[in-house]
Parts: sequence; structure tokens; C-alpha cells
Amino acid sequence: MMMEHQLTLALSLITPGFLIAGVILASVPIIIHILNRRRFKVVQWAAMDYLLAAMRKNRRRLRFEQWILLAARCLVLALLGLALARPLACSQTNLAAAGAGRDGLHVIVIDNSYSMGYETERPPARTHLQKAKILAKQLIDRLADGGESVVILTAANPASVVIAQPTYDLQNAKAAIDRIEQTNAGTDLSGALQRALQIAEDQPAALHRRLYLFTDATRSAWDVPQADLLHQLGGQLAKLYTITHFNLGRQNQWNQSVLGLRPQSNLVTTRFNNEFIADIKGFGSSSDATLQWKLDDQPLPGGTTIKPDTQTPPQVLSQLSIRTGGPHIISVSAIGHDALPIDNIRRRVVDVASELKVLVVEGDHGVGLMSGSAAFLTLALAPPTEASSQGNAKTNSAIAPELISDLELSNKVLNDYRAVILTNVAQVSAAQADQLQQFVQQGGTLMLFMGEQVNADNYNKVLLPRHLMPGPLTKRMSVGSDQKGYSFDFNPYGSLHPLLTIFRGEDKSGLDTARIFTYWQVEPSGNGVERVLDYVSADTTHSTTSTTTATHAADPAITTQSLGSGRVVFISTTANADWTSFPAKPAYVTLMHELLLGSVNSDDAWMNIIAGQPLFLPQTLKLTAAPSLIDPTQKPVALDQTSAEGGQLIYKSAPLDTPGVYRLTTGTNTYPIAVNPPADEADVRTLDNNAIKAALGDINIDLQGDILPPESDNIDRGNDLGWTVMLLVLLLVVAESFMAMRFGHYRRGTASAS
Amino acid sequence: MSESVADYRTYLDPRVLARVSSLDIRARLIVEGLMTGQHRSPYQGISVEFAQHRPYVAGDDIRHVDWKVFGKTDKIYLKQYQEETNLHLLCIVDASQSMAFGSVAPAGEALSPMEKVANLLGPNEAKPWSKYDHATAITAVLSYMAIQQQDSVGLAIFDNDLKRYFKPSNAPAQWKIITHELQQTPRLKKTNTGRVLDQLAEKLTQRSLIVLLSDFFDDIESIKKGLRHLRYKKHELMVFQILDPLEIEFPFEDVILFKGLEEMGELLTEPRALRQGYLEQLSRFTDELKRLCRGMDIDFVRMNSGEPLDVALSGFLATRAAGVK
Repeated sequence: MMMEHQLTLALSLITPGFLIAGVILASVPIIIHILNRRRFKVVQWAAMDYLLAAMRKNRRRLRFEQWILLAARCLVLALLGLALARPLACSQTNLAAAGAGRDGLHVIVIDNSYSMGYETERPPARTHLQKAKILAKQLIDRLADGGESVVILTAANPASVVIAQPTYDLQNAKAAIDRIEQTNAGTDLSGALQRALQIAEDQPAALHRRLYLFTDATRSAWDVPQADLLHQLGGQLAKLYTITHFNLGRQNQWNQSVLGLRPQSNLVTTRFNNEFIADIKGFGSSSDATLQWKLDDQPLPGGTTIKPDTQTPPQVLSQLSIRTGGPHIISVSAIGHDALPIDNIRRRVVDVASELKVLVVEGDHGVGLMSGSAAFLTLALAPPTEASSQGNAKTNSAIAPELISDLELSNKVLNDYRAVILTNVAQVSAAQADQLQQFVQQGGTLMLFMGEQVNADNYNKVLLPRHLMPGPLTKRMSVGSDQKGYSFDFNPYGSLHPLLTIFRGEDKSGLDTARIFTYWQVEPSGNGVERVLDYVSADTTHSTTSTTTATHAADPAITTQSLGSGRVVFISTTANADWTSFPAKPAYVTLMHELLLGSVNSDDAWMNIIAGQPLFLPQTLKLTAAPSLIDPTQKPVALDQTSAEGGQLIYKSAPLDTPGVYRLTTGTNTYPIAVNPPADEADVRTLDNNAIKAALGDINIDLQGDILPPESDNIDRGNDLGWTVMLLVLLLVVAESFMAMRFGHYRRGTASAS
Repeated sequence: MSESVADYRTYLDPRVLARVSSLDIRARLIVEGLMTGQHRSPYQGISVEFAQHRPYVAGDDIRHVDWKVFGKTDKIYLKQYQEETNLHLLCIVDASQSMAFGSVAPAGEALSPMEKVANLLGPNEAKPWSKYDHATAITAVLSYMAIQQQDSVGLAIFDNDLKRYFKPSNAPAQWKIITHELQQTPRLKKTNTGRVLDQLAEKLTQRSLIVLLSDFFDDIESIKKGLRHLRYKKHELMVFQILDPLEIEFPFEDVILFKGLEEMGELLTEPRALRQGYLEQLSRFTDELKRLCRGMDIDFVRMNSGEPLDVALSGFLATRAAGVK
């Protein structure tokens, strides 16, 4: 408590050089005094007796007066230096730091995301980032050499530290700023601010701390989903820093960007023509742009001219036939004249497959035609052509199901398949469950159909802990044979799950008329479980396993959930007609295709990454030699081995920053890797100062444009003791004059002496 | 005062006199300047005694007519006077080293009438006017005036000892001897006023008017003892303390190394700070000397060697006239 009430006084100096000069100048009166004692006139004097008598009598007084005058003159010069040094009194300070003369911490955050590459006429700077670097260096030039420390951070994703520890070497700090490169990544402002916060907390001794933010004030940088985090950080930083934001953006800047490029379906195949969708937007007052599609760098016909804006609908490339399987590069360019060309092109690597291999596990083979638990499903996934009925097992489907019994499951290498479907499998061993879990986590799709043989206890004990179920199986629900049964809660004009989009407006799909007589009730327990379809309540339902009559309106019929890179689809009834009439409906085939194709991952996700992210080689990738990677400029990129979550060793590159097509060689195979700028950085429309302030929680912040304010503006006038010290100097000068007159140490005129 | 009188007054200015090297010329100029400036000179009233009557002849000054005889006899007789020679004047001049101090510079380029005369009469050495110059000028003037009145004049020059002594005499050559001696005597030694005054008190056999010219930078007790001895011998005393303007005002500014004359050591100091104390000490000594003289019925005059001599000499002559009457 005592310590809290102690008054601490500490000073920081705006121009400490003047204080040094003052201290040096304070020695001038002493030097003059000494020189005067050496430079004197000689007078032959007769009345020496009286002079000596006067000297004897006044010796002490004279000496005292001399010393006090000398001290006053020295003090005047020293205080004058102090006044010109502009001392600032600070409340959050300590004298130790002041004594050391190291009293200021300046943290400079420079946004070097790709939007900072916006080109504008501001010589000698060509881009926002170049201007920011010039301003930051000018700012450092204003700092007192040796007295103030600098930390440099960059705000491109991921936020990084250029100079981690506060440096007093200002030249080094400026050199570090010169080394900051324009990235093609998005903005990680919150990450940079978190680092700034940590630095301030690590430097409690700094007398004053200043945080300078150099950004283009774009919506993509400030109007971010993590608004709450920015709010919180702003409040915390305001307690530790004096914050200044420099807005490098131009009020009317605009940009057009290809934000996304994707195939219409997760399966791009050689069997059918494919569709690709490009999201092209314009932010600000953009101009016309010509679209240019390319396949493997060869232009495709169908380029159109559009004027993109924020409402521009997706552009579709349809009927693209790809003849060969394997990875191909699709790209789309918006050729225009904007000032940020880096995001005018987007590339996509698609793994074109001839077929989608699916492993269908049949738990119940049945005894009759189409009585197997997977009979309907297999037929639905690969419907035979007319020719096949004549003995040629041909199908037009891109899906290639492989039907096995549950006894064969353990012998299969699951990574050879894109999806595994279990139909009425009685129980799953722990080893099988582990394989399935790993399969899903690595991007595979697991579909589970219920049935008579399903052992609920086994499923709950084995699959549920491995997140391969949406929730525990609680009760098997059935209706009496005289009742209609349950139906799907399907309204073609209502709100539909994305997997059901194809059924929108379809009145006669059969989804609404299908009847379900038995199903396993499941209680979804995970947050990530999506309900695709629910059961609607029946007028009267009777359970065969329970005498109670209940309403089951909220019981899910079909759910889907993510696990790792893959997905799990759960269907609570059978895949055949044992428990439902749905397999006989026209919608059955379509729904099964949609569920499967909507859930399977395209195998090319790892080949499409965002700038700033590293490349991870999937474990399923077959390597016949040590992999190597080259960037778009043909320079090699190092690949290092690292441990994945499961402890396996995988290859990983450094963050890939340059957009373009990289080439990965794995021995016999070469894969293109597409690196694109982040879509969320494209909106370069600037926010006004109030919005910046609001984004940081309405804190007290100095909002500047793209020029440094006059140096005097940086002075905290409220704490400036310069004028007080100057007043003291004047008072001391008056006192010195008075004492000099009083003591007789002033000149009255020239006197001649022989 | 007429223009001619004003011109003669300039002859009394030490700055002008400093340009004249010959002491006897200085003395004559001073006397002329002094006499011209006086309307009724006390010079007329001293050393004049009645001798006889003689008949009036045309052209005689009627101021000397004896109107009492005319009333009794109806004849006009004039009173004739015989000059007295019973005054013995002894000038004692301090020729110690301290008396050589002087700061009064000769007059500048703009030559006054006196300077023109001085230039005609002799070489212009243009040395500063010292206290000793001031003392010798006064001595020469008094001696000249006394000789003119047939009074006897003597001279004593001393430093730490009695260097020269000339018994009072009214011989016409006495003045020449005195001025010559005053110019020749070197000034290198310390003062010992008391001992010299004792010596002179023993030497003087007749009652004399003694004029003592010195800066009195000496032991006050020693001076007191000497003066008392002279007064005991019934001599009449006049004391002239001669100080330089620098000694009186002490106007120094910069750091100065004061080297004491008469082996008084040296002192490096900032004089501005010491001025007040010095002036107090000097004033205290002068006051003590003045009080000492007053106590022994001795006339005391403090003279500034930078000021004209007429004021001091006029005062002396007026004092003497009052004493004769």
C-alpha cells in the first residue's frame, strides 16, 4: 500500500540532445572562470594595504558569492538545455529507465498483405506498402538515437515479427523495414495486434509506448469476422500504447477479383461434360473486364465481357469435356485495368477421375432377388444401361461401387476408395473402426445405413467414440403394419439442405410420399451434425418394441457431419426396402447420388492452397522418390518432413507466397499445385476513420492519413515541462543579474589602469 | 569670470601640466593661473610691514596715502612698507615608491592654449601625472611664492629615510635648487614617515611652517608619533594627502593582478567584488588620519591628483592669511 501511494516522478525527453548540450555548456562558465583567472591585467598598486585588508575581511563572502554566481550561471545553461530537450512527465514510468535514457518503445505494424500492393501515383512510392515503408522510416528518423527502441511487425497472414526484441539500433530498424516484402497473403491484423500486446506486456519498464499501424484501411483488413477480438484487443492496447493509425488507402480505390473457382460437382470425370463456376466480383467503381477461361493453359472459347460488382452472379463454364484423367489446371482471368492485378486470375487444380470408386459393405446378403441390404443401393449408384441388361455390364454412372460382405471389410485397403458404405452391418470391430476413422479423417466419406442386424450397443461403443456416428442409437422406432409409417419432412418449396438442392421445386420426386416403417432413433450430440432430412410425425404410430405411443417429429432421418477432412453420412433406416418404401421411389437414385457426390471430397483439395499456407503432402500420396517442389519461377522449394497428428511423418513445405502453379514431383508422377491469393483480401474499399476507431472499440486513437503529422504534434503538451523549465531559467537569469549587481560582479564601464 | 581668466584656469589642470616637463615652468604657470583667478589674493596681505613716510609725487598710488598725517599736517605722504622675512617654510615631500603611482593621462590631441605653450617650451614626454608630480608641483608653487615674498623656504625629501634636506633660505637661488632636487630624486623605496618626521623635528631649530605632502600609505601610529613630535617643537603643520583618482574610485572591472609597490606583495582578484571593501578601508584610514590631524590642530587636505590644483592651493593660502591676521 505504501508503494502505491508513493509519488513517482519520471521524465522522458523529446530531444535529449539538447540536454546533453546543456550539460556540456554548463561547463562554459567554469572554463571562462578558469581562463579569466589565467588572463589578467597587471597593475602596479600603491594602496595595497587597504586592498589586502579588504580581501582579508571579505574573503569568505567573496568566495561564497563567486561560487553561488558560478553555480547560477552553470545552472542557467543546464536548465536551458533541459528546457529545449522538452522534458515530459509521465505517469507510467520509472526512474531507472529514465536514468538509462532508454525510455520509449515504438511498435510499428506494417500491413504487407496483398491489398497493400495496390498501385497508386505517390512518388517515389508505387504501392501502398512502399509508401508505408517510407513513412515508417521517416518516423524512425524522428526518434532519439539510443533513447528509443523499435519493434517491427508485419500484419500479412500469418502476422510475423521482423524485429522481435526492441532494438535501439535505429539504422537496423530501418534496414529491417526495407526488408519487408510485399506478400500475396491476406491480413492478420488481430494476430499482429496480439503480438504488439505481448511485446508491451514484456516491456513494463518503457516510459512511453507508441503503436503505429500502417494499413490501407480496407474492409478486408478491418471489417473482419473477428470483430469482437479486434474490439477486445483495441481496449487492451489503448491501456498500454498511444496508438496512431496511418491510412495508406485511397478513398476511391477499386478492385476486381476472381474470388473463387470450383467445379459444379465434387466429381470431375472424363465420362461427362463438366461445369465450372467462377465468382468474380468488383469492389468500388470497377470497369469492364473480359473473362478468359483456360484449361491447362490453353484458352477455352466462351470469354465474355462483364462489369463486375459485388452483386455479380457466378460465371459458369459449362460443357467442358476433359478427355484424360489425372490433375488438370483450370484458370479464369478477369482481364481489366485495375490497380491490383494479382487477384485478377484464379487457378484450380482438378483431379479428373474416370470413376468414383465406392466400397459397399453388405451386412445382410438376403436370400432372394434384391433382398441384400445393399442391393438397391448398388443398383442406384451404378444403374445399368440398356445394353447391360443384355449381358454387358455397362453403366453410364461415374460411380463404381464394389460390393463386399462385412467379413471382407478387414481385407480391403480403404484408401483405394473415395467412399465406404456400410449397410445393415451387424457390428464393427475396433480395428475396423480405427481404419474407418483414419479413412474419414484423411478425406474419405463413410455412409451408414441401419437395418435389422445392427447392434446398437456395438455402434454406440465402437463408432460413436470415434465420431463416426451423429449420436447414440437410443431406440428403434417402428409402426404397425396397418399404419402408413413415417415420411420425410420434405417441402420442395421450403428450406432445403444443400444436398437436396436438386429437389427444389420437384413436386413428384417421391421424397414426400416415401414411407418409413422402422428406423433407429438417434440423438445428435455433436455441434457439427447437420440434419439433411427429418421424419415428420405420423398420425398414429406404434412401436413394436415399445408399447408407448409417441411423436417423433424431430427424429433425424439423414444427417451429415465432418470428421477431419472427410464426412460421415448417417441414414437411420435401411438402404433396401426392409424398413422403407423409399428405394422404390424415383428420388432414391438421385438422393443417393447427391448424398455421395455431395459428401465425397474432391481428391484435389491438397493441390489447391491459399497464398501464405504451406503445402502438406497427403499420406495417401504414393511416393516413389523423395518429393521435390518448384515454384512458378522454377526455383526449388524445400519440403521438410514433419509429424502429423497421428504421429505419421508427412512432407510439408514452407508457406507458399507466390501465386501461380507449382510443380510437385513424387518420382514417377508430377502434380500441379495451384496457389491463389486469399479471396477475403479483395475488397479494397476503404473504411472511414470512424469505422477504424469503432473497429478497435472506440478507443482513443490518433488517425492520420498518408503523411506524417508535424513533429510538434507528437508532443504530449499536457505533460510538457519545457515551458516550466524555461520559466525557471528566466527566473534564474533575473536572480543571477540581481546577485551580480548585489555582489558587485557586474561591469559599469571600461576603466584604464597603468 | 572673463575668458582670459578661464584660459589661465586650464594651467591648473594636472592633465595639462603633465605635458610640461620642466617643474619650474609648471610652478610659474600655476602661480600665474592662481593669481589671475583670485580677485583679492591673500598674497597681498602677508609679509608687509611699515618702514617710513615719503612725500607724494604724481603718479603714486593713492591707496598708500597716509590720511592721518594729511589730516594733521595737510601734507601728502605715502606710507612705505618693508617686506618681512621671518617666515620659514619647509616642504616635506614623500618620494617613496607608492608616490610614483599615477593614472592621470596627459591631455589629448585637441591642444589647449597651455599645451601649445608647453610644446614650445620643451619636449613632451607625456608621462602619466603621478602623485609625486602633484606633490612636487605644489611644493614648487609654494616655494616660488615664498621666495617672491622674501620668505625662507626649505625642502626635505624622504622615503624610508631622509634623502635630501635643505635648510630654509630666502636666497633667490633656493627655488632653483628646490625644483632641481625635486626632479632628480629617485622613487624606489618604502616609506617610513614617522622616523623621518622625528629626524626633521630634531634638525629644525626655528619655528617653521611645515607642509607635508604624502599619500601616507604607512603605519598610522608611526605617522602620529612623528606629527606629535613636530607639534611638540611648536611647528605649524599642514598635511596634504595626495591620492590618485584610481585609488579614490577603484573603478577596475576585469581580473587584475595587483602588484604592490613598496614590497607589499601581490593579489590576483576580481576588483568589482572587492571595490566596496577597499573603499571602506581607504575611507577608514583617511578618516583616522584626518581625526589625528584635527586633534593636533594640524590642517589636513586630501587632494585628488586628477583635479586642478587651484582649489587646494587657494584653500591653503586662505588658511595662511587667516593665520597671519
